[in-house]
This record gives sequence, structure tokens and C-alpha cells, in this order.
Amino acid sequence: MNQILLIAWREYRQYVFSRGFLIFLFMFPLGFVAVSAAVGVAERTKPVRYFVVYDETGLYKDDILERIERRHLYTVIESLDAYFRISLPESGAELPAPFAPAQLDEKRLAAFKAAGGSSAAMAAAKPLLKPGAPDFAEPRLPYKLAGLPESARNAASLSEIEAALRPYLLEDRRIATPEGGRPLFAAILIPFDFGAAEDAGEAQYWSRHITDTELQSRISAALTDALKRAKYNEMGVADDAVKAIESVDAPVASFRPDKAPDEAELGLKDRIESSLPAAMTYMLLVIIFGVGNLLLTNTIEERSNKIVEILLSSVTANQLMMGKLLGIGAVGLTMPTIFIAGGIGISATIDTGGQESIAMTIVSALTSSNLLLVYLFYFFCAYLIFAMIFLAIGAISNSLQDAQSYMGPVMLLVFAPLPFMIMVFQEPNGVIATILTWIPIYTPYAVMMRAAADPPLWEIVGATALMLAFAIFLMRTMGRIFRQAILQASPPKMREVWRLAKKEAA
Amino acid sequence: MSEPVILLEHVVKRYGGFTAVDDLSFAVAPGEIYGFLGPNGAGKTTTLRMMLDIINPTSGRIVILGSDSAIPVRRRIGYLPEERGLYKKMKAVDSIAYFSQLRGMGRSAARKRAMALLEEFGLAEFARSKCEALSKGMAQKVQLLSTIAHEPELLILDEPFSGLDPINQQTLEALIRNQRAAGRTIIFSTHVMQHAERLCDRFLIMAHGQKRFEGTMSEARASFAQRLHVRTTAPMEALTALGGVAGIRVEDKSGAETTYEIELEDGADPQAFLERAVAAGVMLTRFEQAGATLHDIFVSLAGDDEEATADARPAMKEAAE
Repeated sequence: MNQILLIAWREYRQYVFSRGFLIFLFMFPLGFVAVSAAVGVAERTKPVRYFVVYDETGLYKDDILERIERRHLYTVIESLDAYFRISLPESGAELPAPFAPAQLDEKRLAAFKAAGGSSAAMAAAKPLLKPGAPDFAEPRLPYKLAGLPESARNAASLSEIEAALRPYLLEDRRIATPEGGRPLFAAILIPFDFGAAEDAGEAQYWSRHITDTELQSRISAALTDALKRAKYNEMGVADDAVKAIESVDAPVASFRPDKAPDEAELGLKDRIESSLPAAMTYMLLVIIFGVGNLLLTNTIEERSNKIVEILLSSVTANQLMMGKLLGIGAVGLTMPTIFIAGGIGISATIDTGGQESIAMTIVSALTSSNLLLVYLFYFFCAYLIFAMIFLAIGAISNSLQDAQSYMGPVMLLVFAPLPFMIMVFQEPNGVIATILTWIPIYTPYAVMMRAAADPPLWEIVGATALMLAFAIFLMRTMGRIFRQAILQASPPKMREVWRLAKKEAA
Repeated sequence: MSEPVILLEHVVKRYGGFTAVDDLSFAVAPGEIYGFLGPNGAGKTTTLRMMLDIINPTSGRIVILGSDSAIPVRRRIGYLPEERGLYKKMKAVDSIAYFSQLRGMGRSAARKRAMALLEEFGLAEFARSKCEALSKGMAQKVQLLSTIAHEPELLILDEPFSGLDPINQQTLEALIRNQRAAGRTIIFSTHVMQHAERLCDRFLIMAHGQKRFEGTMSEARASFAQRLHVRTTAPMEALTALGGVAGIRVEDKSGAETTYEIELEDGADPQAFLERAVAAGVMLTRFEQAGATLHDIFVSLAGDDEEATADARPAMKEAAE
């Protein structure tokens, strides 16, 4: 046992204390922070996009502007809520209702606007802010209306105006704005016969930025609402009544039938609990792929460097195999453990104003159920199954090039369940989930994905028993290949591998 | 002989239809330096691996340090394989300590011993160098030190001199002698006959998986045909007529005298040949008894197998190595 641990420790040290691993460990969260910061910077520095509206009806420009401003107000309130949660000592309890962080719906939006908007909210919050709280950076309005250029104003038809706007849309010319000349992001052309009737003319959205569809969606929504309002008016419903109808948000709460009535309402923790198995399954896939490669390269190194014979004069092939499995398996668990622990540590230092942070919710979801135990058990099973295959490939290869011919099919096996994972996630007790559960190499993935959905116990026990029997069979077969091939000077041919797998030479 | 350190009885190793080791029996006494000689593919490495229980014999019995398997006594054995390597990224001192720990030493004792050995062998300044930074000679020293660091009772060295420069060969010879002086038993295989001749108390010559000879150098010479170098004016026929001559050839002819190399028949006594020459009035100006060298004996016993080995199928050669 001591020798197995010694081998495991050497394998573990070789990777975990290597410069590359430490750099990766440092760089990964740094990269995460950098990406988040870059997204923030990109958001802040994103240029204001200017658009023009040519409306022959003269009816819809205000609707478009109102929709864009309302969506922006949503963003502002969301940002303020996040800011107040961190910068106010008691979750903004003393702030007036529309400013205090709460669920955001049309009612609150209207109240917030009526109470004076973000400047009033900041004025109310200022005396309550924690000392040293940073300033609030209000998100900028992303889209602004620009006036039509002179050449377009004099156009007599939509085709003429389109022709006049084309150099601006192609950014050959710049549109005049209060900030100076700016590129024109989009043009909205609304014909005089625009409407909801079947033979009505259609609004045109012109832009060379065809992948950025945000503005187009907002305009489309604004025009749809305007046409609906017109229809309501035609039916005799007054404008105020229409607005009142539009501001209605249906209050829908989700509940879990497996919990007591007072705890049944679905919260963040429930959503995390149901998503965690999927996240952990993907993590398992990534780890298996990562450590599988480590095992492979490491075994090839020992084989090609001729270290293996010295090792085998000191330990048995089984001890060597077990030591490697243990050491590299621990490497696989180190990374998620460090990231989870780091996340919890960072999360614990962030004052969330009395609210449970997402990281703490994840920890609580993990520890309050047997999810962690289930994960660890199936991690080891999946690891064992694939690690044995990687070890055997390492033992029959003198170089990575030799290993490539075997790796293709193995990689296909490792990642084959990936396309089905979404289906299992959406229907954890469906046919696909059941089929995957009964295929031993995919049992760990399928059971983990289904862990939170209470699959039938007999199915899990049966499939797990089958998987364990398969794992033992694989350990014996691959172990035989490892023990016999590891000392051969040149890699055995496929037919010989088959012979090695079948029988141990005497 | 006291209880042997290693005993092989009728050991056979087959790979499919190929017999790598065929009915091999021998014993090694405590404190002996035992040579294991044979051409490529003779089955030396296979035999050594079977002794260490790295591979199993097809049949026969192996007893090592009183045990039927090397596994329980591995800590008492030091093994240097023919093809050897080190972890490239590991430091020299860590390499020696790691292999010593695998063979049962405690961590701090292993490190102390590793440092002491590196100092003793002039490598102290490279103790913290990674193995990939060491020269080939230095790496070979580190490998050798890894083999002896845990102070084993039995050293099994497979072709330990291969790849060493003459200075390091001398160092290794001295190390082997020192190990024997410290009471250890050493078995080593080699192609270089001079090393075996200088070091071995006894040796075994293998060819084609079979034992061709086992014994001391004098026993080998005694069983090997005697050769004489004589210088005389007498003709070749006169010498042949003296009897006991298996073969004769002219080595050198200058003036009236000729130097002959004479191979005596098996069991023929060189002194009796000399007496017969004197009695027959054959005047000899030189009479030199040339003992067979180990090289002669090796070539005679195993030389014909080189070709046979070259003909063997590659897979079989590989299995035997």
C-alpha cells in the first residue's frame, strides 16, 4: 500500500506542483476575471449606435423611442439593484419602495420612473451607502435616434430615401449627431400603408450589422405593440385602458410537489439543485478527458524512457497501475476542488447584504443533499472505466503518434453522450435517459444527470451493478494488456493486443 | 556451497512457439560475483526478469533469497535493467531517493543516502539538477546509484557496462568489487568478456536459451582445448608425429625457424607434449602454453548462435530480450 501511495504521490506532485499547473491555476480565475472585466469594459465602451427613422405615416417614431427608453430603464434598475445589494448595509431596506432592490415588473418600472428615475434613487440612497462605496456607473443608452441627412429629407419615395441613406449605412459617410459625425447603425423605413392588414406595406430595417439583432427586435416589438394598440382603439378601447392592460404582468410562481407547502415555492436554490447535476456531468466529461490524456502521456513517457522496468523490479504491475490511477485521479479532483473552495472563499468575503450568495447556495445545495456523494461515487466509476482504457493504450504505445490510432475511437466513446445530454436534462426519466443509464460506460453520466429527478431506484441499482461488473471486467482485461505490453520493446499489433487481452502469458 | 542466493531449476520460458529460455538450472552462492554471458537473444534478460518475478516462467522453479518469489524480497534486491531511464523532470537526488523509497527506505533516510552517494561519486553539484540536464554518463551514474542506494544484499545488473566510457567502466568495476567486499552478491550480464574475466568468480554462458557452460575461469580453460606456440626448425610433420595434436598452423616464418600454433587434443597435457618433443630430438627455441581467453571460450560456445539469432523472427527476439 505504501508503494502504491508513493507512486500516486509522485504522479500527483509531477502535475500539481508543476509550473504549468500552477500557472494554469492562477491564470484560469484571472482569465475569468479578465473576460468578465473585458465584457464590462466592452459594454461601457460600446459606442452609442445611431439610427434614423423615416416614417411616412408619422405615427410610430415615438413608440420606437419609448420602447428603447423603457428597455434601457429596465437595465438601469437592474444595475441599481445589484449596486444597492453590495453598497447598502441592509439590502436597501430604508430606501423607498421603487428604489429598493425587488422584483422588477411593469408596475415597479412605472413607479420608479414616476419617482424620479435613477438620479432620485441615488439621491435617496446616498446617506445610506456604506463608507467607501464606489460610485454608481449608470449604463448608457445604447441606441439613439439621429436626424435624417439632408439628402434623405428631400427624397420623394422609400426607394429614393434608401438610396440616399446607403452611403451612411455603408459607413462611407457619417451621420450628424450632437456628438459630431457618427456611423449610421440602422435605418427604419415605415411606408405610408404600414399596418396589420394582410395587404399592408411592411416596415424595412436596414443595417449592415446583420448579426446584431437587438435593435431590430426592439423596433419590431415597438411596432407590434403600436399596431395592437391601434386595433384596440378600433375596437373602442381607450388609450389609457390599453396602457393599463399592457402594464399587466401575470404573477406566476413555481412550486415543487415533493416539498412541504410552506417550502414548496421554487427558488434559486431549487433551480441550482436541478441544474447542478448537469453542470457536474459536463465537469466530469472535461476531467475524464483531461486526466485520461495525462495518464496516456505519462504511461508513454515511462515506457519510452525505459523507466518502467526499474519500477517493475520494485513494485508489481498491479501496484504501479493502482498508484497511477490514484495519483492522476487525485489530479483530476484537485482542479474543481480548488475552484469550488476558491469560489466559496471569495463568495464568503463578499457582503451580499444578508442575502445568500450564489456560491453559498451551490454549497448548500451540494451539502444538503447526497449529490456530492453521488457525484464522487460516479466520478470514480467513470474515471476507472476510462482511465483503464487510457492506461492500456499508453502501455501499447511508444509515442503519442502510436496512440493516435486508438485514441480516435476512444474519444468518440468519451464524447458520444454529449449530444444526448440536453435531452436527458430536459427529460431525466425519458427513453434516452433510460437507454444511456443501461450502457455501462455512460451509466455515470446518465445517473448524475438524473440524480435530482428521482429516477426509479431499481433502474439505478441495476444499471450501477451492471456498470460495476463492466468496470471489473475492464480492469481485468485492460490490466492484462497493461501488465504484458508495458515491457515490450515495440508496440504490439492489433491482433496481439486482442491476444493479450484474452489471456495472461505464463 | 552454503544456501544459494539464487537457485534456478529447469526453468523454461516460452512465448507461443518460441522458447526463450530452455531448461535452465544454476545456483549463485552468497558473496559471489556471477557473470551471465551470452549473445543477443540468448535469453539473459528474460532470465533476469524471471528471477525478479517481473515475468513468470512457463515452468521450473526459481528461489531467490530463500523465497519462491522475488516480490516479498524485492527490498533486498537492487536491479539495473539493460534499458534504463529516469524521469526527465525529476532532480537527481529525488530520483535516487524515490527509487530507494520504493524499495523500502524511509523518506529522510533515502534523501540522506542519495546525497551521500552523489557526493561520493562526484555528482554533489548536480544533485538538484533535473535528470534531463545531466550528461549521458552522469545519468547512468545516477541510475546505478538508484540501484544500490537502499543497500541491497543482491545486485542484479543487466549489461551494466554498456554505454559507459572507459573511465566510468573502471568506476563501475571498482563499485562492483566494493559491493562484493561489503558482502553482497552480484549477478551481471555482459557482452564485454574482459569485464567478466576480471570480475567474475563464476560465470554462465547461455546461447539460444540454453546453458552452454557454468563454472570458474580455470574450469572453463581446463575444459577447453589447449593451445601451444612453438618455434623450431623442425617441419610440421615432425610436430604432428609427436601425438596429441588436433590441429597445427604456421604463425610466422623467419630464417630457418618457423613459429607454429598447435591445438592439442581434448585432455592432452602440454608438458607431456614437451617431453615427447625432447625425447624425439625436436629442438624447440620457444615453447609457450597459451591459455584460452574467455573470449575464445565464449566464441567457441556461443558464436554459432549469433547467426541463428539473427534469423529468429523479430517478435521472438524481442520477447527473449
